[in-house]
Amino acid sequence: MMHFDPMVPFKYWDALLIGLWMSLRLTLICLALGIALGFLTSQARRSRFMPLRALATFYVELFRGTPVLIQLFWIFYCLPLLLGFEPGNFASAVVALTLYAGAITSETFRASLKSIPREQYDTCRALGITGMSLALWVVLPQALLRAIPTLLSNAVALFKESALISAVGMADLMFIGSSISNRTGRPVEMLTAIAVIYFAVAFPLTRIVGRVEARILRRLAV
Amino acid sequence: MAQDKLLKIHNLHKSYGDLEIFKGLTLSMDRGDRLVIIGPSGGGKSTLLRIVMGLEDIVGGDIYMDGKPYILRDGAKTKIDRKLQARVGMVFQHYTLFPHLDILRNLTLAPVKTRGMSRAEAEEKAMGLLTRFGLDAKARAYPSQLSGGQKQRVAIARALMLDPDLLLFDEVTSALDPELVAEVEAVMMELAEAGMPMMIVTHDMHFARNIASRVVFAAGGVVVEDGPPEQVLDAPQVARTREFVERVFAKKR
Repeated sequence: MMHFDPMVPFKYWDALLIGLWMSLRLTLICLALGIALGFLTSQARRSRFMPLRALATFYVELFRGTPVLIQLFWIFYCLPLLLGFEPGNFASAVVALTLYAGAITSETFRASLKSIPREQYDTCRALGITGMSLALWVVLPQALLRAIPTLLSNAVALFKESALISAVGMADLMFIGSSISNRTGRPVEMLTAIAVIYFAVAFPLTRIVGRVEARILRRLAV
Repeated sequence: MAQDKLLKIHNLHKSYGDLEIFKGLTLSMDRGDRLVIIGPSGGGKSTLLRIVMGLEDIVGGDIYMDGKPYILRDGAKTKIDRKLQARVGMVFQHYTLFPHLDILRNLTLAPVKTRGMSRAEAEEKAMGLLTRFGLDAKARAYPSQLSGGQKQRVAIARALMLDPDLLLFDEVTSALDPELVAEVEAVMMELAEAGMPMMIVTHDMHFARNIASRVVFAAGGVVVEDGPPEQVLDAPQVARTREFVERVFAKKR
């Protein structure tokens, strides 16, 4: 039996770094697009237009109720058929993770919009703040503020879920790490190293979530 | 039309489902009036203020301001004149400041965004009000950093930013710790002395006696008795008022 050699992953640090960069880039892009999509979806679900509401609800429930891995495969294989051309691996990965991020983020916004007390709306009417002013200066900032802790948790979740794109051959941290482990026959060292890297990114973020949450709750405790 | 009442509520009907809150309530108010509304809890005192603020639909009746129709029941809909609504201000029991804005911005938001006041002008006016209420040092603080009494004084200042012709106070000291009540009541007394027309719902009978020019006892969906505080609180003419007042004052002792 081979002995555990903790130095193995260090020989491939540059390749792992490239993989990490891919994972981070994909997470950030899909997070930004997903937040925008999620906010629009949360609004669509409050729409008075029934078909729009139904479509938004169907989308959210579909993506919350199915495994991300299946969503990924489905989009990788079906998107080219639907579009009539090959959109490329990166674009497909962005589409898939954005749709997933949008679905979970829309729920975040829905909850934060609901948590704004009714009295805020009464006060605004008494002050003549209505329509766009109400939405833009009172509702949206409070909804965003209340959503921030959950959005950060979503970001951590998305970063970890992004490892799934290795299954469709995207050269992210997971893919590069497991390729090296296959080639060197050192799965224990390499998988440990990958786990440590994911943890090193995600752990500080989860700590930040806790801090930010406490601060925001203090601010909103009026 | 100098003889027109500031506010005239005529034959007001309001219900929540099967529950009838007002059954033809009629009440009017002059410019110099500070009306304190008392009555059993659940009797619709707060609802009355919310209706006058234009926050509630009514079932029947009409409300006039300066002789002009303000709130009417028109077919199946409640019609509210938005111009007249803008002349009414309201302070709520739970302050309801904007938690995401500092105190100064809490005051300037409405005048800047909806009345077209310049930011500089609004800030100057806001600082004037904050100074008057002893809160100028808190201009850059956030609501969560203030005591209940301070928050409620900010809420009053915020309502005053829009120069209301009538200010409604809905149990504004009920949520406060006892030691913070006085600072809010002092601000209200100051406004009273400056001639601000007010409609006040309060459980504090002592304060009611001090600030009211008229006390209105509302029960069973109508006005039961309406007169100066010396009459309604000390020598009520109607048995039902007497019973209520005696019970409330007995509880205090």
